[in-house]
Amino acid sequence: MTRTGKLNWLTGLIFSLFFVSSTVFGQDVSVSSSLSETNIYSGESVTMTISVSGQSINNIERPQMPPVDGLRWLSGSTSTSQRIELINGRPTVSYSYGYSFIAQRPGTYTFPELTIGVDGKGYTTKPISFNVLDPGSIDNDQSARLPDIYVRLEPSTTQPVVGEMVIADIVLYFKNTVEVRSYQPTPGWKAEGFWKEILENRLQTKATSTLINGVRFQRARLLQYALFPTKSGELTISPFELSVQIQQRNRRRDIFSFGLGQERKDLQTLPVTLTVRSLPDIDNATFTGGVGDFKITRTIEPAEAFVGESIEVTTTISGSGNLPLLNKPIYEYPETLEIYNPSESSNINRNNREISGSKTFTDILIARNAGEFTIPETNVAFYDPDNDRYRTISLPALTLKATRDPRSVNGSEDMLRLNVEPITGLAQWITPDNAPLTSRSWIWGLLLSPVVILGLAFWVKSYRDKMNTDTAFARAQKAKKLATEELEKAAASTELKNGYYHIYRAISLFIADKLDLPKAGNTTSELVQAVEDSSSSKLAIEVKRLLTKCDTIAYAPGASQAGMARDVEFAQTLINELNKAL
Amino acid sequence: MMRSLSILIVMLISSFTLPAQTAQTLFDEANDQLTAGNYEEALTAYQAIEQTGEVSGALYLNMGIVATQIDSLGLAKYYFIKASEFNTTQARAAEALEYTESQFSRQSAMLPKLPWEKAVEWLLEGPGVLTIFLTGFSFILIGVLLILLKWFTSFSFQKFNHTLSTVFTTGILILLLSFYIDYVNERYSGAVIIADETQVRNTASETADIVSLAYEGYSVTIDIKKSAEHKNWVYIRLGNGQFGWMKPEALKIL
Repeated sequence: MTRTGKLNWLTGLIFSLFFVSSTVFGQDVSVSSSLSETNIYSGESVTMTISVSGQSINNIERPQMPPVDGLRWLSGSTSTSQRIELINGRPTVSYSYGYSFIAQRPGTYTFPELTIGVDGKGYTTKPISFNVLDPGSIDNDQSARLPDIYVRLEPSTTQPVVGEMVIADIVLYFKNTVEVRSYQPTPGWKAEGFWKEILENRLQTKATSTLINGVRFQRARLLQYALFPTKSGELTISPFELSVQIQQRNRRRDIFSFGLGQERKDLQTLPVTLTVRSLPDIDNATFTGGVGDFKITRTIEPAEAFVGESIEVTTTISGSGNLPLLNKPIYEYPETLEIYNPSESSNINRNNREISGSKTFTDILIARNAGEFTIPETNVAFYDPDNDRYRTISLPALTLKATRDPRSVNGSEDMLRLNVEPITGLAQWITPDNAPLTSRSWIWGLLLSPVVILGLAFWVKSYRDKMNTDTAFARAQKAKKLATEELEKAAASTELKNGYYHIYRAISLFIADKLDLPKAGNTTSELVQAVEDSSSSKLAIEVKRLLTKCDTIAYAPGASQAGMARDVEFAQTLINELNKAL
Repeated sequence: MMRSLSILIVMLISSFTLPAQTAQTLFDEANDQLTAGNYEEALTAYQAIEQTGEVSGALYLNMGIVATQIDSLGLAKYYFIKASEFNTTQARAAEALEYTESQFSRQSAMLPKLPWEKAVEWLLEGPGVLTIFLTGFSFILIGVLLILLKWFTSFSFQKFNHTLSTVFTTGILILLLSFYIDYVNERYSGAVIIADETQVRNTASETADIVSLAYEGYSVTIDIKKSAEHKNWVYIRLGNGQFGWMKPEALKIL
C-alpha cells in the first residue's frame, strides 16, 4: 500500500512559531510567546510571536517591546493576524503579533518576559533562551557537501531486546532553498528480522527548523513504523525508499509555468543496524512473549454450567508493546474437561507513537461429567524493557461447577455405560484381501483382453475382406487345397491317362492360382517360365519334367499304376515346395 | 476313480475350512478368558487370531470391549472402527464407538471434509474399488461387443460411432476413477492415537519443533508414501488440518 502526503508549509510555519513557546492561561484566555529560531546566526532575522487566544476577548493592550540583548528590533516590521476556530464546540479567537529582529553579537541570551493586557488584566509570558552564532564558525566545505534533500530512518533505540517495540521515524531533511511538493513511499519495504506495523499519523506532516553542520535544514517526519525484533544479534534495517516532488525556491518563477521546474527525486535511507539483546531466562512463570507494559486478567464464564455446556475461559492482555506477537498462556485444565480449539481477537491502536490495545484469548471447555473443577493458579510473565526485567502476574485459580441437566439426566447416565455385550459362538471369518488393483495380475489381464480380442477380430476381418475383394489373393490362398483335391482324384484314378491328367491339372492349377495366371489355356512352357521367373530354375526343371511326363504318358513305354502313385507323391512334394517358394 | 475323486474333494474342503475352524477354536478360548475376567489374556488370544489373517466383526468387537475393560480407550476405538466395517457388527460397533468417544477427556477439532474427499470415501465404503473397476471394464466390453457386431454382422444403427465413443469414454473414465480411488486408498490411511499423549513435530526428528500434541483417541490420517521416507516416523494430518511427524508406536493404522 502506498501512502502519499503533502506538506502544509503554512501549518509548518505556524508550528515552528510555536516550537519554542511559553503559554500563560488565565480563565478562558491563554497567552504565549515563541521565537521562530533559538539558534540564530548573527545577521539572520528571527520573529518573536505573541499569541493571545480566548473565547470572549474584548480588548488587548499590545505589549511594549523592550530592548533585547543580542537582538535588534525592526520596528516597522510588526505583523498582526487573527484566527477563529472551534475548540470543544465553542468558538475561540486567536490573535498573533509578530515582531521581527536581527541577530547581533554571538552569545547566549534570554528574551525577557513580556506583559500583555487583556480586558484590563495583565498576562506575563515566560522568558526564552536563545543563542546567536558566529557565521564564521561554519565549515563551508562540509556544509557544501551536504545534499539539498535526504531522508533518514531514526530508530527510538539502537539496543532493544527481542520483541521490544522500536519506533522508526522516516524523516526528511531539506534545505530552505528546496520546496517539497509531495512524497510517495516506494512499496515493498521489508524490514527483515522484524515484525513491522505502520503507525497512524492523523496530523498533517509538519516541518521544523534545525541546524546541521551550520546549515539550516527543515526536518519533517513523514512516516512512523513500530518494529519488533524477532531474534537477537546484529540486525540491519534495510533502506526505506521514497520519491519526492521538489522545486528549488531560488529558481525564477513564472506565473505561467504551471508547475514547470518541478523535479522528482528518489531517496533512500541509510541502513541502520540495531544490536538486539536476548531476553533473559525465566523459570517460575509462563512467558507470553510480551515485551512492553501489560495488564493480564483471566475470567471464566459461566462458573456454573450443565454437563455438556460450553464454558469460556477468557484471558485478556491489555497495554502497550508487542501486542500482535503475544501468545496464549497455556493452562493446566482438569482431565475431565474437553478442550476445543481456542479463539483469539485483538483490538489494537496504532496512534501516539505506540502500539496499544488489548488481545483476548478464549479457551472453550465442555465438562463431560458433573463435579467441581479447579483450574489452578498460574503465573504469567511479560518483559518490561523500561526496567529491564520480567514482570510476573499471578492469575488466581478459577473454579467451575458442573451439574447434570435434569432434563437429560437419563440420557447422560446411559452414555456412561457400555451396553454392548461381547459376541460368543460361531463367527463369520474372512481373510481380507487389501491388495491394490495395480498389484493384481488378473486386473492387467482383463485390461489387456479387449485389446487382444479387437486385434484378433481385426485380423480375421481383414483376411475375410481380402478374400472377398482380392481375387488373386483368394486364388493363392485356395491354390493348395484345389491342387490337393486334384491329386486325390489322380490317386483314386485306375486309368493312367486320367490319373496323369489330374496330376497335370493339379500342378498347372496350383501355379496359375499362385501366380495369378489365367485359369485355363496356359502351356507347359508358359507355366515353367512363370515358375522360373518367380522362384528357382531347379524347381522349374522339376515342374517341366513332371508336366512333360503327364503330357507324354500315353506314349511312354512301361508306365504303371505304381509309377503313377510315385508321381502323385512327387507332385504333392513339388506343390509343397512351390507353396513355400511362390 | 470315484474314490480318488472323493478323497480330492474332501481334501479341498478341508483346506478351506481348517483355518476357519482353528480361528473359531481360538476365538472360543479367548471368549472364555473374557468371560472369566482375564482381559489381558483374552486380548492376547484375540490378537493371535488376528495375526493368522482370519478376522471377523465379532473378533474386533470383542477386542474393543476388552480394550475398554483395560482402560485403553484409544485401542478400543480402533477395534470398534474395525468392527463397524462388518455388516454383522456394524450397529453394535457404532453404539460402542459413541460410548468410547464420550469417554475421551480431549476431543480433536475436526475440519469438515471437502466434497471430493467425501465422494472418494463414499465410493470406497459403498461400491468399493473392485466394483467400480468391473463397471468400467463392462463398459469397455460393451464397446468391444458393438465393434465385433458391426465388423462381422450387419448390425448398425444411427449415431453408432457417437454411441461407441460415449461407451468407451465412460468406461475409461470409470476405470481411471477406480485407479485414482485405489491410489488414494493405498496412499492415505486412517489411524487412531493409542498413546495418552504424543508430540507431533514439523520434521522427522526428536529435536524438531513441536507442531501440536495429539491425545488418545484422536483420529488422524497417515500419508503412507511420505511416511516411507523416514524409518520409525509417520507423517500424519490431524483432524484440525495440521500436519506433522510422530512416532508410529503412538497410533494404530486402520
